[in-house]
Amino acid sequence: MLYDLGRADLRIKWLVTCLLATLGISYVFGALMVSLYAGFTPERVAATYAGHAMSMPMPPETTMVKEHPMSMLEFAKPEVHEVDTDLLIQDTHVHVPMYGLIAAALALVVAGLSLSQRWALGIITLLFSAPWLDFAGMWLTKFVSARFAAVTLIGGWAMGLGYLAVTALAIHQMWFRSRGVNR
Amino acid sequence: MNLVLRGAAIAAVLHITPAVVLVKRPDAVRALLPGADAYVAREVHLSDPDAHRLHELVDWSPDDGVLTFYNGKAGATVVGALTFARVDTPHGPVEVAVGFTPQGAVRGVIVTKATVETKPWVLEAVGAGLVERYRGLKPGDVPAGAAVLAEHAGKLAVYIAGEVDKGVARALAAYGVFHNHVRA
Repeated sequence: MLYDLGRADLRIKWLVTCLLATLGISYVFGALMVSLYAGFTPERVAATYAGHAMSMPMPPETTMVKEHPMSMLEFAKPEVHEVDTDLLIQDTHVHVPMYGLIAAALALVVAGLSLSQRWALGIITLLFSAPWLDFAGMWLTKFVSARFAAVTLIGGWAMGLGYLAVTALAIHQMWFRSRGVNR
Repeated sequence: MNLVLRGAAIAAVLHITPAVVLVKRPDAVRALLPGADAYVAREVHLSDPDAHRLHELVDWSPDDGVLTFYNGKAGATVVGALTFARVDTPHGPVEVAVGFTPQGAVRGVIVTKATVETKPWVLEAVGAGLVERYRGLKPGDVPAGAAVLAEHAGKLAVYIAGEVDKGVARALAAYGVFHNHVRA
């Protein structure tokens, strides 16, 4: 195969390494963002995407009012970051293309690795299906059941796993596997 | 490769920046319900027809079907009410706190949340006197902060003022139709 990162020119290896490092930084900060705004447990993800909608799925027949006293401390409580339908549409519109580009970049790296066709296809499928699962989980949590928060978590972890697998394989094959070529 | 780079550039431009708190909720409550020492959260759970009515008025109704007002009292004296309204812009959400006097006029408006991207636009709009334009408005009035700012503020400040207008319009409509007209 002409495209083989293990035998590639030093400049290409360095380019791929820098790309992976940059994506790694963005993944670390992505995880920090998730911890700030949604969390890593099914309960917190469900609270973010299902919000009140899950606790009161049917509107009342006539408009009704509930009142309860509030203390200033309650105003100061950290708010659950809720993503409503409008915001989820916006998030999906913005993030899915970006995730697609990241998956495509990582898949191009995979295509240059010495892997069996089955493994390469498996990893490429993982790279693209992880963000699909991530966003499918958000939509299903909002409109079907809070239980689907787990799908979002699986998608998120799968994205991390895909990145780590590609990075480990690429770094190993580009910089640590001796093939008798100039590095 | 050129296509990939262009795509990445577009995605980077479109990426939503995180929400930032401009004014903490307790501070907004103290400012908009001055002197209040007791608060009651009044949650109005809208029926479908009422949600539709609100939507027809301001092209919006709450996603969860619940409008929340916070009423403040100082002793036995009613100080007023406030509500938080969020507007989702293509640049992320903007939240405004709208306070009402007991007579139902706007006492004040505070932009409580923006995003890293929109914060400077909000600060410029507020610095140009945006929120003062809303004082005294009553349900039925149309907020026009953006139009007033158009002559002496930058384009992005005017743009975000239009989004704040929407938030104030939502609060006015919600307050006017549902705050006092539904029994607990």
